[in-house]
Amino acid sequence: MLKIKNLHAKVGDNEILNGLNLEVKPGELHAIMGPNGSGKSTLAAVLAGSDSYEVTSGSVNFDGIDLLDLETSERAREGVFLAFQYPIEIPGVSNLNFMKAALNAKRAHKGLEPIKAKDFLAKVKECSSLVKLDGRLRDRSVNEGFSGGEKKRNEIFQMAMLEPKLAILDETDSGLDIDALQVVSKGVNAMRSTDRSFIVITHYQRLLDYIIPDFVHVLSNGCIVKSGGKELAIELEEKGYDWLKEPSHDIPNI
Amino acid sequence: MSVFTEKFSATLPPPTRRSERWKYSPIAKLLKNDISISKEAAQGINGWPESISPNPVIRLEAYVAVFKNGIFESTLSDLPNSEGVECIPFSKLEQGGDLEFSNSYHKKEWVGELNDRYRQDGLYLKVHRNVKVDRPIIIHHLTDGMGVASFPKHFIRVEEGGCLNIVVWSSASDDSSGMYNGILEASLGPNASLSLEKVCNEGGKVFHFSHEHIVQERDSRLKIHTFTIKGDWVRNELEIISRGKGTDSVLNGAYLPVGTEHIDNHTTMDHTVSDGTSTELYRGIMYGNSTGVFNGKVFVRKDAQRTNAFQQNTNIVADRGASIYAKPELEIYADDVKCAHGCTVGQFDLDALFYIRSRGIDEQAAKALLVEAFLNDVLSSVTCSELREEILRLYSERHDW
Repeated sequence: MLKIKNLHAKVGDNEILNGLNLEVKPGELHAIMGPNGSGKSTLAAVLAGSDSYEVTSGSVNFDGIDLLDLETSERAREGVFLAFQYPIEIPGVSNLNFMKAALNAKRAHKGLEPIKAKDFLAKVKECSSLVKLDGRLRDRSVNEGFSGGEKKRNEIFQMAMLEPKLAILDETDSGLDIDALQVVSKGVNAMRSTDRSFIVITHYQRLLDYIIPDFVHVLSNGCIVKSGGKELAIELEEKGYDWLKEPSHDIPNI
Repeated sequence: MSVFTEKFSATLPPPTRRSERWKYSPIAKLLKNDISISKEAAQGINGWPESISPNPVIRLEAYVAVFKNGIFESTLSDLPNSEGVECIPFSKLEQGGDLEFSNSYHKKEWVGELNDRYRQDGLYLKVHRNVKVDRPIIIHHLTDGMGVASFPKHFIRVEEGGCLNIVVWSSASDDSSGMYNGILEASLGPNASLSLEKVCNEGGKVFHFSHEHIVQERDSRLKIHTFTIKGDWVRNELEIISRGKGTDSVLNGAYLPVGTEHIDNHTTMDHTVSDGTSTELYRGIMYGNSTGVFNGKVFVRKDAQRTNAFQQNTNIVADRGASIYAKPELEIYADDVKCAHGCTVGQFDLDALFYIRSRGIDEQAAKALLVEAFLNDVLSSVTCSELREEILRLYSERHDW
């Protein structure tokens, strides 16, 4: 599904990713943890194709395609989805029109006709009930006047609508209370399937009580310094990150 | 002496950059042009061009008053003919009509004086007490030909409780040049209501000057939209005077110039008595090497207590070569008022663009979504849906959304 090899990226003169390696197979859910400034969000942004970062070396192979060669919208049409840490408000663009445009762009890419109004509304209904996004929020401008929790639920709603092959969740849990976290996690778990992979970036181990990862990686100074199963998250919760300074070489067979 | 000033003389001098009102809209190029007002030039040789429909909003059932190069075209027009509405071009008006207007624009401005001196025709329109005109009336001006000048002037009176929707639409065929100098004077009686949409969609190279002078009596409601879709050099002036208590005035506008187009909007909202409300929203996106000018004056006179005046002008400069000169001007002499104004100049929101693109929508379509959203606040207040959709269609056709 996704093979990241020796990825280096920088902002200005600031190297943020320093030779990151990661492989994600279909159906797997990988959690990426790490201290502030370790490069977690940069990794998400680079995978989604943000122009703010410059990839200086390395490769990202996504289902046989060179992902770095595609611009942002092409990556999305190929099946990459990024749930933003800070979803953007877009006044004047209705949530539904936005989703319809996105869905139809993806369908056109696959050579399909635009979705029928009836099918679209049925899909909206199904996906919004998944994250308890009520009609009022659905019909409003994208994220405008949404609370933090509503914005995050809207991200998962969009993910459900667009059915990506690879979903990257950038700190979707931060700023959520337990109830909202449960709703969001339920949505994510409902989306898990054997052909859909997830990279879940989080600051807090708490999320991983609700979304059980197959692998946990620790990012430090722009590369993965430790990988393990879900127990690693608990270990990190107890010990913090300080014991993981140097890259380890016992990365499991990923 | 240039060709232009030989043909058109006025006692007032043409404005120069030294005048604050014309600082960013110099007319030196106009004065070098060869423009005439001869009847032959005005009528053209080709009749009405096929590419332009006499009713510019085909889907809209409306009355139309068609003027070509300033001359009324009776065969292409369809004027209301019902009780309580007097609608007739001045050239066909037998008596003078009872008009009470106090506009002194022709004494203040060179452009106004030219209109006064060389005025050809215009619509005389009176809506009687408590009469609602059943359809919008579109005044359609076409400039067609090289070096043509037209000087229309329209008079509108909506009596107490009357209701009218007017569209002033100006077109020009692509090989046209010259000058359009149009004035509209309107007065609204107590509790009357007027919607006015000004649409400029001119091909060719026409210097377009338009001036609206509107007086509002108590409790009257005015809604003006100024849409510049296309125009080589356009100056829109609005002068709204609230002369009765409790008036409501909405002044909205949008401009999206491309290439080397020049679009100037000058507005004046004058609250002279109390309890008036005015809201003004102008949005512009400057592309290419175009220039935009916005000047919005709001006066709140000493007696205009409890006035609520709001003005906002938001601009996006989309390309390096484009520029906007924006200037809000508020003069407040009353002490119990609520006035707010805001003026911004910025670029497309890169974070929003990235967000939209990250959902699979390509950059051009993403920008179109943002532009449409940007315009929506102005467009959505146009009540007539056929008109609103046609304006949006013309913008999107022009900008290839």
